Amino acid sequence: MPDDNKPDIARWVDEGAKAIGLPIAPEFRANVILNVERSLAIVEPLLALELEDELTPLPVYRP
Amino acid sequence: MSDPLSKAATVAEIARAVAGGKVKAAAVVDAALKRIEVAEPTVNAFTDIVAERAKKRAAEIDAGKVKGPLAGVPFAVKNLFDIEGLPTRAGSKINLDGPKAARDGALVRKLEEAGAILIGGLNMGEYAYDFTGENVHYGPSRNPHDPTRMTGGSSGGSGAAVGAGEVPLALGSDTNGSIRVPSSLCGLFGLKPTYGRLSRAGSFPFVDAFDHLGPLARSAEDLALSFDAMQGWDPEDPVCTDRDIEPTVPTLHEGIDGLRIAIAGDYFAKGGEPECFEAVATVAKALGATRTIVLPNAAAARSAAYVITAMEGGQLHLTRLKTRPQDFDPDTRERLMAGALLPGSWYVKAQRFRRQYRAEVLKLFEEADIVLAPATPCSAPKLGQVMMTLGGVELPVRANLGLFTQPISFIGLPVVAVPTRRAGAMPIGVQVIARPYNEAAALRVAAFLEKQGVCVSTPA
Repeated sequence: MPDDNKPDIARWVDEGAKAIGLPIAPEFRANVILNVERSLAIVEPLLALELEDELTPLPVYRP
Repeated sequence: MSDPLSKAATVAEIARAVAGGKVKAAAVVDAALKRIEVAEPTVNAFTDIVAERAKKRAAEIDAGKVKGPLAGVPFAVKNLFDIEGLPTRAGSKINLDGPKAARDGALVRKLEEAGAILIGGLNMGEYAYDFTGENVHYGPSRNPHDPTRMTGGSSGGSGAAVGAGEVPLALGSDTNGSIRVPSSLCGLFGLKPTYGRLSRAGSFPFVDAFDHLGPLARSAEDLALSFDAMQGWDPEDPVCTDRDIEPTVPTLHEGIDGLRIAIAGDYFAKGGEPECFEAVATVAKALGATRTIVLPNAAAARSAAYVITAMEGGQLHLTRLKTRPQDFDPDTRERLMAGALLPGSWYVKAQRFRRQYRAEVLKLFEEADIVLAPATPCSAPKLGQVMMTLGGVELPVRANLGLFTQPISFIGLPVVAVPTRRAGAMPIGVQVIARPYNEAAALRVAAFLEKQGVCVSTPA
């Protein structure tokens, strides 16, 4: 049974590329999809965090 | 004291020999060019050699026209630094069709003002989106200590050139670890300064939020000498600090008395091969460091650094990805394409989180002056290796060699990567991390470790 919560990454890549006018040749497509999948895995710890509303980005970043 | 004409000679030794009249700058340059000729078929570090320019410069130094603390010292730069008269490759084929640089990058000019002599441009991973040192257009840079292995990247040529003793000093860039990773894999000292400390003017960008430039060398003193020569505000880089120059050479040999040194735990104590944690333990023991501190949410920091990198990189190269996709290195192209397709909400969240993480980590630096962490999760992988096993988990090499460097550059902290090497093994580095603008403390620790014989860099 398909998992409704799991994004359809192939469709994400195809439609997203169309939206920004980025042609992706058929021979590159599988690897782009793989890299979006990897990004989804790597971003998990960030997405799991809850941030306070007051936390804004640093407009001028100073370390 | 090494022979100033030998591959073992350091920046400091060459500068002293030239200043003392023991050797001519012309002889130093000739010796470097000869070493390059011999080593290049093995290490593939250089993409451009400016021999005539270097000889002319050496003659000026020998005629007494140029003086300075680095007079006569040969150096080379990652080919994303502008070199007058050459296209700035940034590891790409595409940029060869671009304009030739009208003048040298800011740091090249600063080093030459101090008397150093540019020898050439160095190989790198395409557009700096790389931790391996591999490049489909120019071939991989190869590890001088075992040419079947990676140098690490993206400043791979910088690691190879200094590790092979072709030149004693190279400049690299570090967005997520690209100075620290090749320093670790090639057994070098590398300095990623505080974000904004050194001007990036006249270098090809990657991720504005994280791009840093800095030196790779074979001693802490060489890092300090070159770093001091390169400091100073530059209006041409909008993030370059206007703080006063803070020389690090005068305090370099003060030892570690008074420095509170801790070891990064949790995220930085797992997910790597045993050798990387052994390296940290060796360095910690030599420094008498026993306290462990935890950088909170370091895994999220790595995620956020990854997202910002992928998205800024994807956006920067979008026009080229649309018009010349076939001219990219395949390993870069499809990652950049993926980056261009990630949701904007990730980027904004990553930037918001950066503020929180910065505040939390700076709080830790109220209790410690130095934090130790692995530089890479393993020593040099084999060239062409795609996957590796870290802590029992199979992971892609490219995305994971910077596992321990990314959460540090994410907030711009200064780091010296110091080399360790067990007998019969490949080198592996340790990050000596300090609070913003305290490069001097990290360099002092590096110099102490070198003096103790714990961290030594020997050319292959």
